[in-house]
Amino acid sequence: MGIKRGVSFYSYQQTQFFGKMHWKDMVRELHDNLKCDGVEIIDESTIPHYPFPPEEFIYDWNSFLARYDMKAVTKDIYLDVHQFRDHVMTHREAAERLKYDIRLAAEMGFENVRCLCLVPIDVIEMALPTAEKYGVRIGKEIHAPLPINTKGKKQPTQGMAGALSIHMVDEVIELARRTGSKYVGLVPDFGIFQFRPTDLHIAYVKRHVRNTDEVDWLLENSKNFAPHDLDAAQAAFKAKFPHGELSMGEIEGLSLHESSADPEDLRAIVPYICSMHGKFYEMTEIEGQPGHYEDKAINYADPIRVLNEEGYQGYIDSEYEGQRDQQDRGEEFLPNEVEEVRRHHEMLQRLFDATPNKNG
Amino acid sequence: MFDSYLIRKDSLENVYEDGKAVGFKFAVRIADYRGCYLSLHNGYYISVDGAEYPRELQSFEINGKAPRSFEEIKKCVWEHWDYDDEGYVYVKKDGGLEPGKHRIGLQQSVLAQYGYFPFHDEEWVKNPPVPGKGAGAGKTAFICYYELELSEGGNK
Repeated sequence: MGIKRGVSFYSYQQTQFFGKMHWKDMVRELHDNLKCDGVEIIDESTIPHYPFPPEEFIYDWNSFLARYDMKAVTKDIYLDVHQFRDHVMTHREAAERLKYDIRLAAEMGFENVRCLCLVPIDVIEMALPTAEKYGVRIGKEIHAPLPINTKGKKQPTQGMAGALSIHMVDEVIELARRTGSKYVGLVPDFGIFQFRPTDLHIAYVKRHVRNTDEVDWLLENSKNFAPHDLDAAQAAFKAKFPHGELSMGEIEGLSLHESSADPEDLRAIVPYICSMHGKFYEMTEIEGQPGHYEDKAINYADPIRVLNEEGYQGYIDSEYEGQRDQQDRGEEFLPNEVEEVRRHHEMLQRLFDATPNKNG
Repeated sequence: MFDSYLIRKDSLENVYEDGKAVGFKFAVRIADYRGCYLSLHNGYYISVDGAEYPRELQSFEINGKAPRSFEEIKKCVWEHWDYDDEGYVYVKKDGGLEPGKHRIGLQQSVLAQYGYFPFHDEEWVKNPPVPGKGAGAGKTAFICYYELELSEGGNK
């Protein structure tokens, strides 16, 4: 059996934006060209009139997936705490949104919901009985800049890293163990194995910043700061460029020089993995290997070897994200999402086959 | 995201009331890969040929309903702006825009979030960010510029 291939329809967001692909075209692409059956969606881009889709859509969805023998693997769900605008959503309200999204996922035949890293663990615990009742697992995403195992690193205090609990993975495993529930787990995103900024992103920021020296300086000097120590990177940047234009988020992204997670740490969490996000930015042909592709910024080979050694047989769903750094220019510069995903699947299958899977 | 494509190129036209131009409008898409609860839509930074038009002068048309001010939009907590749908931004300006080309600067503000963000959650309830400063600008942090021709169709 081995590891299974799927696609998050997130990958085709630009093609959908321009009205050139409907979710049914995406299903056909998976079936006819990629020869895979794993479907993942973003609820708020695939489901019409979310959160109250017409019944006709639900029936059409289930029927169409049945026709092509597809598997609804994971539905990505969100938490907008300012929805009510007159107060920040309470945790109990957040749990209601999660329960609602679980019920909707069940209606659409999904096995898992992907819950975001910034969703508090008590919100997940409140929704767990609903997940059990409907047979839908809640998978909390491990997204960069989170580690799997903190290895003694301390909690960052700024930016996205500061808002995320560095102990998120431990919290999820603790909840699963304490409740004995199989309906809470993890969705690791391959972005945690990204070890450098992409060429696409560097070029994008350079097109929008007045002084491109700011970007070059960060790329040259980031290795002098501890990985993911945003405080140090920001202080050094401000000292060098007191009137620098780059935002904290850009400094964080451009300083990346070591992946936030260690592929070896996957071993401990394989039993808790619901599905995985195959995040990638740009597939380029490997020199001297025509028809073989790689993403130069993300380590895929080591994590997949470890997953095979541990006998992981769940899905890796492609999540193409390189388009957004190429949408500030004319149409001739827009990437072809369909082709990018096909290349990604070439790489995935090649790496799956490179080592034996422990469970056959 | 979608920096060059947030405004539909042929959509700029004047808005008339009782035969008088009272402003202009253009068609927009959401600057994200997903739709949003409509209440989260917090207005735009808009400049036309260097002059800024703050949120108080703007209204938004979506879901087949008449244009609504962003104070009204804020209350639409169960309505959704779907990812595939185009909306119209209306801007009040006596006399509308002159015929010809205009340079429009745009930043959309949608208070979409991935969960709790303690550094600004409470502040955004009391003082929502003013569009144009990057905060609440979602996936398109820079102000995007468009050269648009006022459509003839508007000169009724």
